[in-house]
Amino acid sequence: MHSPRSDEPIYWLLFGAGGMVLGIAIPAVLLVLLAAGFSSPTIDAGLLNFNQVKGLLGNWFMSLCLFGTIFLVVWHACHRIYHTLHDLTVHVTKLHWFVFYGLAAALSFAALALQFLIYCKLF
Amino acid sequence: MSEVKSYRKPYTPKVEWNWWTKVPYLTRYMVREGTCFMALFVACELILGVFLFAMCNLVENPTEADVAPYLWWVNSFVGNPIVMLLNLAALGASLFHAVTFFALMPKSMRVFMNKNTTDLVPDYFMLGGCYGALAGATVVILVVAFATM
Repeated sequence: MHSPRSDEPIYWLLFGAGGMVLGIAIPAVLLVLLAAGFSSPTIDAGLLNFNQVKGLLGNWFMSLCLFGTIFLVVWHACHRIYHTLHDLTVHVTKLHWFVFYGLAAALSFAALALQFLIYCKLF
Repeated sequence: MSEVKSYRKPYTPKVEWNWWTKVPYLTRYMVREGTCFMALFVACELILGVFLFAMCNLVENPTEADVAPYLWWVNSFVGNPIVMLLNLAALGASLFHAVTFFALMPKSMRVFMNKNTTDLVPDYFMLGGCYGALAGATVVILVVAFATM
């Protein structure tokens, strides 16, 4: 059955939340990644060394924060690309919808599954 | 969708795909929209890191060989000059996104002063909250990253 209610608010909510996360958390994440690139980490020395990341991903709260960031940013980006296609003179079809929202869903599920796998292995 | 065959011939004006390069204001708009590509890049970079971490042999006291996938990501991928330049571009893009996104907040989210008035909270209140959150989150993430090192 086709529901008369629109599902758009869900995607716009994810877009808004992702926009906030992208603006608030991602600059600091990128600073950490840039610093890690300079510190050439090993198993137990340097920024983002193996043992540090093991501790972060083995902590359910830290892992959930990372998943939430990835999840919201991916949905924000895919939603924005989908709606910007119109400005690039592409007439969107249902196929575009499935490609972009499918990409967002696939990346979110990949992050969730991998982080859950790591958490179970470390637990 | 109607089952009746439509005889409409809608007029679709011809628009060049680069219409937005001709006016600086519109170029800025498209650059703002384009920041989401850098966001997608950062998300994919993080997912790649999580994937390669999951590929490691997660045992007690691992050797270099056990953690080779993760060390490749953090040294040869994140440490690659091209990727670091892309990360720098992504940093600029995320800050540009932050400025434009925060500037929209007072317009898109109406918060009233109290229940009995139609006065909205002043713009600087919401902008201050957004920039405060940006500063606070930056401090927290940097402290967590360096304190757990």
